[in-house]
Amino acid sequence: MKRLISLTAFAIACFAFTAATVKIKGSDTLLPLAQKWAETFMKTKSGTSINVTGGGSGVGIAALIDGTTDIATASRKIKMDEKLKLQEAGKTYKEIVVAMDALSVIVNPKNTVSKLTREQLEGIFTGKYTNWKQVGGADLKIVAYSRESSSGTFEFFKEKVMSKKNFASSCLMMPATGAVVQSVSQTKGAIGYVGFAYTNSKVKDISVSYDQGKTFIAPSLQTAINKTYPIVRPLYFYYLTKVETQVKPFINFVLSAEGQKIVTAVGYVPLQK
Amino acid sequence: MKKMIQMKRRDLLLPMITIIATIMMLFLVTQSKAQDNPLKEPQLSKEDSLGNEVEQVKSDVGLLKKVKISGYIQAQYQVADTAAAKSYAGGDFPSASDKRFLVRRGRIKAAYTGKLSQLVFQFDISEKGLSTKDAYFQFTEPFLEAFSLRAGVYNRPFGYEIPYSSSQRESPERGRMSQIIFPGERDLGASIVFNPPKTSRFNFIKLEVGMFNGTGIATDFDYKKDFIGHLALAKSIYDEKVKIGLGCSYYKGGWSQGTATYYQGITTLTNGTKAFVKNVGSVHAIANREYIGGDAQFSIETPIGITTFRGEYIMGTQPGTSSSSASPAAQPQGSATTTYSGTASGNIVIPANPADTTIHVSLPVTITATTTTPISDAYLRKFNGMYAYFIQNIKFLKTDLVVKYDWYDPNTEVAGADINTIGVTSANGKLGAADIKYTTLGLGLVYHWDNNVKIMAYYDMVTNEVTNVNNYKRDLPDNVFTLRLQYKF
Repeated sequence: MKRLISLTAFAIACFAFTAATVKIKGSDTLLPLAQKWAETFMKTKSGTSINVTGGGSGVGIAALIDGTTDIATASRKIKMDEKLKLQEAGKTYKEIVVAMDALSVIVNPKNTVSKLTREQLEGIFTGKYTNWKQVGGADLKIVAYSRESSSGTFEFFKEKVMSKKNFASSCLMMPATGAVVQSVSQTKGAIGYVGFAYTNSKVKDISVSYDQGKTFIAPSLQTAINKTYPIVRPLYFYYLTKVETQVKPFINFVLSAEGQKIVTAVGYVPLQK
Repeated sequence: MKKMIQMKRRDLLLPMITIIATIMMLFLVTQSKAQDNPLKEPQLSKEDSLGNEVEQVKSDVGLLKKVKISGYIQAQYQVADTAAAKSYAGGDFPSASDKRFLVRRGRIKAAYTGKLSQLVFQFDISEKGLSTKDAYFQFTEPFLEAFSLRAGVYNRPFGYEIPYSSSQRESPERGRMSQIIFPGERDLGASIVFNPPKTSRFNFIKLEVGMFNGTGIATDFDYKKDFIGHLALAKSIYDEKVKIGLGCSYYKGGWSQGTATYYQGITTLTNGTKAFVKNVGSVHAIANREYIGGDAQFSIETPIGITTFRGEYIMGTQPGTSSSSASPAAQPQGSATTTYSGTASGNIVIPANPADTTIHVSLPVTITATTTTPISDAYLRKFNGMYAYFIQNIKFLKTDLVVKYDWYDPNTEVAGADINTIGVTSANGKLGAADIKYTTLGLGLVYHWDNNVKIMAYYDMVTNEVTNVNNYKRDLPDNVFTLRLQYKF
């Protein structure tokens, strides 16, 4: 009898442990932030396990549809086609904005150009401008880096900066944000765009103008919060309503003052109350 | 003596086993040493070794990811108004039954998807047997990644309903018109697809044009190849809350007539009856098959779920036979007739009894039966048809409410009581069952259990034109209720 009780208790404990595991998958932009949130949350809630992986917003939402993740992270809104797929799978979901992100345009530190208008950025990424001297820089070939089309960052940049125009075929598509930063840091004529949190001393942020060059704003936490920096976007969590009780404690933590402090610490823009 | 030999054998067995075991051990040790020997193979660090293994696993997983096996089974129970009901909800009912279980579709699909290429096989397995559904490849050019070449057996690129998967469709079957003009949906051919990649702002455009046999999956029976083209535009607007799709299609082809006679156009006879005009052309002339169609889709997110409207209209000329307007898979033929002829090479026997009036013939007598199946004349009809769906998803119930309306008028030049055969001679062609218009109103509920399971309850209310042709002088009792369970993986 004792053995039976012990086995039952062990099984329940195993189940409880499994139930406490939350899987998070999706946006590469959100990856460092989600990892930090998970790390801090697991410290405060012993026995909770959170697995965080990237892959891109599209990959995260596909995993939500397939049922292989509990939370999909995305740097863009869920698409209508994805909503229809969730409907076909009999799944209802919830959308939560968890933070904001400023998108930084970065160049190699040796590049003399430090500010560009939206129109110039559009011209660079569409292939209209191929040399830095065309936008006030040195006589140096422009090497443009972009994220792949499955990336939410790609879609946001295309819509917000490029007026939905096509990227030039010469544009190099990178599989991850880290790869863009690394490539730009190693190539003198390079330019790319990444989430503000990914920038480091090996690359240089570009000040951007959305009023035909009257005012140029550099990306920073302050300019993003006071909404003067124009390239800011919301970051999302998507989860299925059937796992709400399982993921709610973590989401409450993310939205709490402590969770939003982490947002600032990692380099993202916290939600405004 | 025997004992001694047995003893010797036992004595020998042990040393032999020992020797074999020793040799094996030595061999293993040598192998192990050879592997450990740093001079023969360089020692890898734990990290390098792990890295190599991870790379190997990644490579294997990458290959496996390219191959995808999927499929679904649709098992259903159906009840019709009467036994032997003629139906487009999964085929006619058996002559003595108004109820049936059937596996409507049992699909298994294997697809290999490379960076710019795809190879697909799909089969249907049910109580009717095994049949091919898809067998095609697609290759995308590497420069713009916008143009693809597709060839093999696959869905005809016409309209929206034909290529729309049966596993996703909210009603059990495609509309009557789709089933008649495109039986089996697929055809053999090759097409070019223009669909810019996601990185392009023109990604919302899809144009597909191709040449096909025109006979479905069956082997072609004539020299005429058919053109099919479809242009589709689809875009999400209002912050991904609304999706709109528009499309237009064109079909131009036909099949080689087996006779010189064809019937086209309608005339009114002196007695007021309408009949086909009989024309004489030439054998192997092409019976024109030409359709033009337009389709539209609209989805909007509402607080209770996504609301979808979907519709398609097709009109054109359809070559068929006197009894059917369906697109043929083989040279159309008429009903078989059998004639008998005999010879008696024996003698007539005079009966012994004069009262016996029966003629007695002695053997042998030879009777020969000759069956002939005449090649059908072509009947060219102007037709039109449409379908419209209204689908309201109720997300908290995981259920779709479905209303579908469709009609198919195989001959727009006649209607109702005009469809009559009285007084029609061989100088004209008779109108008949193949000229009757049908409308179908379908009501259904679709419950999405999870990623795999879907349950559908659907009722088709079928109405035919009331004509003056026998068996169609009233609306036939051919409504069908379908309860379907689908498992998809």
